[in-house]
Amino acid sequence: MESLILSLLLNGIGLGLVYAAVAIGFSLVLGVSGVINFSHGIMYAMGAYFFWVLQGHIGFWPSVAITPLLVAMIGFVIERVLIRRVYGQDPLFGLVITLGFAMAVEELIRITFGSAAYSISAPSFAKGVFSFGDFIYPEYRLFISVVAAAMLATLWLLMEKTNFGAVVKAGMFNSEMVGALGNNLPLLRTIVFVIGATLAGLSGIIAAPIWSIKSQMGTLILMPSFVIVLMGGLGSIPGTILGGILVGVSTSLATLIIPRFVDIIPYMMMAFIIYFRPRGIFGEQNIVE
Amino acid sequence: MKKILKDPYLWIFLIFLCYPLYPYLGDYISLGTELLIWFIFTLSFNLCLGYTGLPSFGHGAFYGLGAYGTALTFLHLYNKDGFFVPIILGALIGGLFAGGLGYLIRNKKGVYFAMLTVAFTQVLYFICWRWDEVTGGEAGIKGIVRSSFLGIDMGNSYNFYYFVFIAFVLCALVIRRIAESSFGKSLQAIKQNPIRAEALGYNTGFYKFAVYTISGFFAGLAGGLYCFLTQSAFASVLDWSKSGDVVIATLLGGGTVSFYGPLVGSLIFVVAQELLSAFWEHWMLLYGLSFVIIILVLPTGLMGILKRK
Repeated sequence: MESLILSLLLNGIGLGLVYAAVAIGFSLVLGVSGVINFSHGIMYAMGAYFFWVLQGHIGFWPSVAITPLLVAMIGFVIERVLIRRVYGQDPLFGLVITLGFAMAVEELIRITFGSAAYSISAPSFAKGVFSFGDFIYPEYRLFISVVAAAMLATLWLLMEKTNFGAVVKAGMFNSEMVGALGNNLPLLRTIVFVIGATLAGLSGIIAAPIWSIKSQMGTLILMPSFVIVLMGGLGSIPGTILGGILVGVSTSLATLIIPRFVDIIPYMMMAFIIYFRPRGIFGEQNIVE
Repeated sequence: MKKILKDPYLWIFLIFLCYPLYPYLGDYISLGTELLIWFIFTLSFNLCLGYTGLPSFGHGAFYGLGAYGTALTFLHLYNKDGFFVPIILGALIGGLFAGGLGYLIRNKKGVYFAMLTVAFTQVLYFICWRWDEVTGGEAGIKGIVRSSFLGIDMGNSYNFYYFVFIAFVLCALVIRRIAESSFGKSLQAIKQNPIRAEALGYNTGFYKFAVYTISGFFAGLAGGLYCFLTQSAFASVLDWSKSGDVVIATLLGGGTVSFYGPLVGSLIFVVAQELLSAFWEHWMLLYGLSFVIIILVLPTGLMGILKRK
């Protein structure tokens, strides 16, 4: 029983870190551009699908290198062609345009690959199990936790220790002022969008061997991102990680107790947290309020 | 008299009064019924979006709750013989939940308001989807029969069409009365400039809460009618795609610039959806792309084009 709980706990943390890596991009785009980006989940799905297709042709490592670049490029194009047009307009415009795009891509995936789910095997270097006494845990699950944590740590360094990060954070507080001070705000928004897309794409790659790839995977990852951002606070990396782990661990442990209501638990926590801290746990004043 | 003749409502009512007589279309009476239900739904939504500027992305949930509320009261309280009361109760449940949510988030603005409506209505979706004992879970609720109302057999789809037609006429008149009342004018003031409206002494939070509740009531009513149309209730009607549908139908018609925009929008939207889904399995592709195109090309909708000329 203890080892079951421990492995569920570790599952939850891994899941939470992947959620956080997806949610942080969603959060930064929302903060800097004020767009509720429903197409964010599709970046995650594209990461998984591109990786899956490329892996069969050019092998594991080259596809790990190329997939994020592809997703980043697509993110760049979408931001420049579509999402740019709705900045500063009614919030529903950004929401509907990204939702429409996500629906179209999801259907495109279904046309190309069918609606069946595919499973990918874990890469050969992490196929084994990790054993500690009686406790046995798949190596790959530890691997994804480490990779997701490394992605979040890199982003944290970028945001906290560089000039660019300072400008992004200022952009979330008052984007007009940031523009007026001579920063290229449109470029900043594009870069943030591309960073978010890349992180989502990478998360898609590492998550693919654990949760099979399917056409709805992008939509399914989106709701946890919503909850995590509202819970942790907009644009806050520590808040997003904490929110991600809360969602991941609670859903993972809940499968043991009340498996049917697993989906509802994150929302309950979110409602509870928002009631006491309307901006989320680490939320600060920002432009979307 | 002249004023009445110029009233767009008169013509809309006349057109739909004769719907069953039209060649070809008249055979698809359930399409006509669904259109009328969508009219109620989008008109109610437009009170939020077009009149108050509330970016609500959760109206699908109130619609779905209306459907569930109607289905449940019909099956459990009314012992399979009742028609009017379940629909009213469904509408009240929609209004109640909209009111609760509206009260909680009445002072939030813009994007944050939209986010919260998405997140909270998703809870309702999961509850309906998972609470098997009450909502039937994934299987939904079936076995709803349209019994008689005032001695008229509602099992006949033409009779039911006219029942929905009367409901639509009443709702449309009430919603327009609300939009044109002093309350409606205050809502428009809040949309134009919330800070100024506040400075003029309007309790903007209360107004937003009130309009959200009213809008949820009518959305629930539409959901209740839909429940009787399909004689079932499924969790999929609470899905966010439903909330997206009502937004896009309203924007397509031009709900932000004209009161009648939602009617035009839902007419095109429902008919196009019906045709597309009948002819192509992968219609979702075009459907999603149409969302993108409408926002890029027609941000003020079809009525926006008419008004510009």
